[in-house]
Amino acid sequence: MSMGTLEKLAVLADGAKYDVSCASSGVNKHNRGGIGNSKSFGICHTWSADGRCVSLLKILLTNYCIYNCNYCVNRNQNDIPRASFTPREVADLTIQFYRRNYIEGLFLSSGIERSPNHTMERIYQVLDILRHEYHFYGYIHVKVIPGADPALVNKTGLLADRMSINIEQPTEQSLKLLAPQKTLPVLFAPMNQIHHQMTQNASERKIFRHVQKFVPAGQSTQMIVGASKDSDLSIIKATETLYNRFQLKRVYYSAYVPVNEGPNLPALSTSPPLLREHRLYQADWLLRFYSFKADEIVNEQSPFLDTDFDPKISWALRNMQLFPLEINQASYEELLRIPGVGVTSAQRIIRQRRLGNISYNHLKKMGVVLKRAKYFITCQGCYYGGIPAESALVRQALTPVAKPVQLCLF
Amino acid sequence: MDYLYDGSFDGLLTSIYYSYYEQRAQGIYSEASYQFNMFTPSTVIQSDPVLAARVYDAIDRKISVYSLMQIYYVYLSNNTAKENLILKYLQLGFQLGPKIDSIHSHPEVLPIRQTAKKVSFEAERFLGLLRFTDTRNYLYAVLEPDHNILILLADHFADRLAGERFIIHDKKRSLAIICNKKDWYLSDFSEEAAIPDSETEQLYQELWAKYFTGISIENRKNKKLQSHFIPQRYRHNLVEFRKSELL
Ligand code: SF4
Repeated sequence: MSMGTLEKLAVLADGAKYDVSCASSGVNKHNRGGIGNSKSFGICHTWSADGRCVSLLKILLTNYCIYNCNYCVNRNQNDIPRASFTPREVADLTIQFYRRNYIEGLFLSSGIERSPNHTMERIYQVLDILRHEYHFYGYIHVKVIPGADPALVNKTGLLADRMSINIEQPTEQSLKLLAPQKTLPVLFAPMNQIHHQMTQNASERKIFRHVQKFVPAGQSTQMIVGASKDSDLSIIKATETLYNRFQLKRVYYSAYVPVNEGPNLPALSTSPPLLREHRLYQADWLLRFYSFKADEIVNEQSPFLDTDFDPKISWALRNMQLFPLEINQASYEELLRIPGVGVTSAQRIIRQRRLGNISYNHLKKMGVVLKRAKYFITCQGCYYGGIPAESALVRQALTPVAKPVQLCLF
Repeated sequence: MDYLYDGSFDGLLTSIYYSYYEQRAQGIYSEASYQFNMFTPSTVIQSDPVLAARVYDAIDRKISVYSLMQIYYVYLSNNTAKENLILKYLQLGFQLGPKIDSIHSHPEVLPIRQTAKKVSFEAERFLGLLRFTDTRNYLYAVLEPDHNILILLADHFADRLAGERFIIHDKKRSLAIICNKKDWYLSDFSEEAAIPDSETEQLYQELWAKYFTGISIENRKNKKLQSHFIPQRYRHNLVEFRKSELL
């Protein structure tokens, strides 16, 4: 490893930073006589200046690319510094960072150099060195290059913890517009392959314990938010489909940071839609942990998420006829639908309820956010909202007050 | 009667034993930090591993493993009233049995849950925030945590870095976990290891610092959020903050 590595790292980390799927969670592994292990709860090693958790060494194998996706810094037509790592450089960097506890593992993505197969093969070589030469048991997430040979995807999947194919756009139309060399079927093919092999692998492992695990931490994908004109409805619908069809572990959303100019793209001065991204994550949370359906969250009449309220409050305000719910009687599923009650507090309520009635005073200590919840509940028959539980009134009471702007003297 | 113990977990459990079988303790305090006063008599408890083990087993059998873990975490905390929180919690626990695990909001329970959570949170945080330097003979890491979490880190790193020799040094408490490839032990440790300025080590620190500053997205800068996750007091032991002068 030489000083030239420093320059390469700068280039290849820069090209990877817009990919937001960086978690290392979902798999527990012990060290079996090499280096490394994995914790299913995920470990953050540091936080960058934008406040995001850094867990994995997130780099590109190369930022050369034969494709020309409009929204991507690495697209072919851009005149930017280019570099490629050798598989060994990536493996050594990973191990040396890992020993020093800088990172939890590797997240390897790549531009498409020469051909999908050529690139996928080199990604495989990185994993081969890490797993077979260094006996590395830490976490590895790799990108699957769309269009690569299924056999290559297969052998890589036997060494990776997680794989992902980014669909980036929720609809075929915007894909056509922004990533003309990609189509949904081409992106779905490897997703489908991975899903099938994971299922098959799981049943084989029930019979033969020694069968090698295939992508044990599952697959994920990412969608860029705000590069195309797609609505939140399209995004959330697409998300739901992806979860149902391929059993994805996660769908990530990345607020589009304008890096290129183009007729189909927002202007370079547009700031990334961070609030929208945040609301989408909240909606995604409702799909995954609160058993909401996509069309409960957004619909044709209001295809965008409310910016003022989180999607659970918006849903509750549209469905006031279901409230208030009695804390001492509501089922677990019902509790989860109350704004201000989360998974932990709902579980605490259920547990403590078995031992006796819960009073309003208890709720705060159990982690319930009463500021929100009070309009949607009764506790031992009493309603503490102070105003009638009507949609318009509650909406008003919950609307965040704009901070008073300080008067400027000059 | 106030009981004074030697600061060890065994000592604390021994005090609890005596509080049940001899005279009820009004309070339990660490001998080193006890403020004598004229009105409360006090006695020094000799820590006794056999009696401690009996209390330990009783908690496990009559209350729960969960409660046992919780009081151990509280014992590791820097809460100055921790012994008395534990005493009161156990008094209630021996009355209620495992039910105590479900009454989160009870005044004797809540402080235990909250303190234990702080400790486990800090320990989890340091699984990520620890930084090793390669001294060529072993890997060396320094930390100055709020709570006495060193022991909670040992198994994790012994598994992860099996095959490496390493020292994790709590500078604040002059303690270290010393691991010789496989087994580890906790030891008093006050000298800071001399770090050779090897070129390779410098290069990797450089690479990491560079990577760290590079991955932040300019348009999304949010220093407040960053400070929330990495408080200032942790930063001088982190290569990436030291090197990039973001202390
Ligand atoms: S294929 Fe990937 S790296 Fe290449 S231009 Fe498209 S998004 Fe960018």
